[in-house]
Amino acid sequence: MLDSYLPILTLIIIALCFSIGSVVFSRLIGEKRMTELKMSPYECGMPPVGSARERFSVKFYIIAMLFIVFDIEVVFMYPWAVMFKRLGLFGFMEMGVFILILLVGYAYVWKKGALEWE
Amino acid sequence: MASLLFYILGFIMLTATLLCITRRNPVHAVIYLVVGFFALALMFYLLGAPLVAAWEVIVYAGAIMVLFLFIIMMLGLAPQELPEGPNWHRWGPLVLLSSSLMACTLLLIFQDPAATEIIGTYYLAPQELGEALFGRYALAVEVVSFQLLFASIGAYMLGRSLPKEDDES
Repeated sequence: MLDSYLPILTLIIIALCFSIGSVVFSRLIGEKRMTELKMSPYECGMPPVGSARERFSVKFYIIAMLFIVFDIEVVFMYPWAVMFKRLGLFGFMEMGVFILILLVGYAYVWKKGALEWE
Repeated sequence: MASLLFYILGFIMLTATLLCITRRNPVHAVIYLVVGFFALALMFYLLGAPLVAAWEVIVYAGAIMVLFLFIIMMLGLAPQELPEGPNWHRWGPLVLLSSSLMACTLLLIFQDPAATEIIGTYYLAPQELGEALFGRYALAVEVVSFQLLFASIGAYMLGRSLPKEDDES
């Protein structure tokens, strides 16, 4: 009965292979030129040393809110995807319109430069 | 089995939420809140709504949590020195709650992989929900899409950096 979990196991294995593989292969194949900046500890969007209890830039806010919006979009795709064949062309068009409306917003904020960090 | 798990999950959820609202440290509170969300997700699963359980994890533990984190990031918390001495009473309850939650999840997966034993009266398959959502309630789904459009533009308008005044002169 556990074989209903087989796709999840497959996904976990693929994810593991991809994440380990991309690190290993970029180390094997990639060019290695050490610079001071490259070898310093990395932390997303901020200097890594110092107190973590500071107020953060509002730029994180837009990215976070856009993440939530597109997360909700993906949430609607799960029940659609499991019924893809049964829903047929109507369901396909419907999801197309759904994504198109959201793409308008995406194109707008992109055009406005909200996704650029500087 | 299922009803026993229900009470265990209820206990985990209530304890985590209680700890969440009594913590002084907002980061600790958020972590307890996540544990509560996960317990709630398992409860939805037990009640026969696996898709709602998945949404609980994706939307609440994933996306709504970002909002809480963002509030903490904006709060500008006062610097706090690390406490001296043993601090097991800080992480102990969390480890206990989350490991029992993990045990419950594994038990559910291995005991009843097909989710046949539920405590709800009706098992809502994701397929059925998809059929209703994209059939009868098709218009509502498109309205949701517009709402998300407003949300993304609204977020941009609130968070955009205004052009500096002296640039115009």
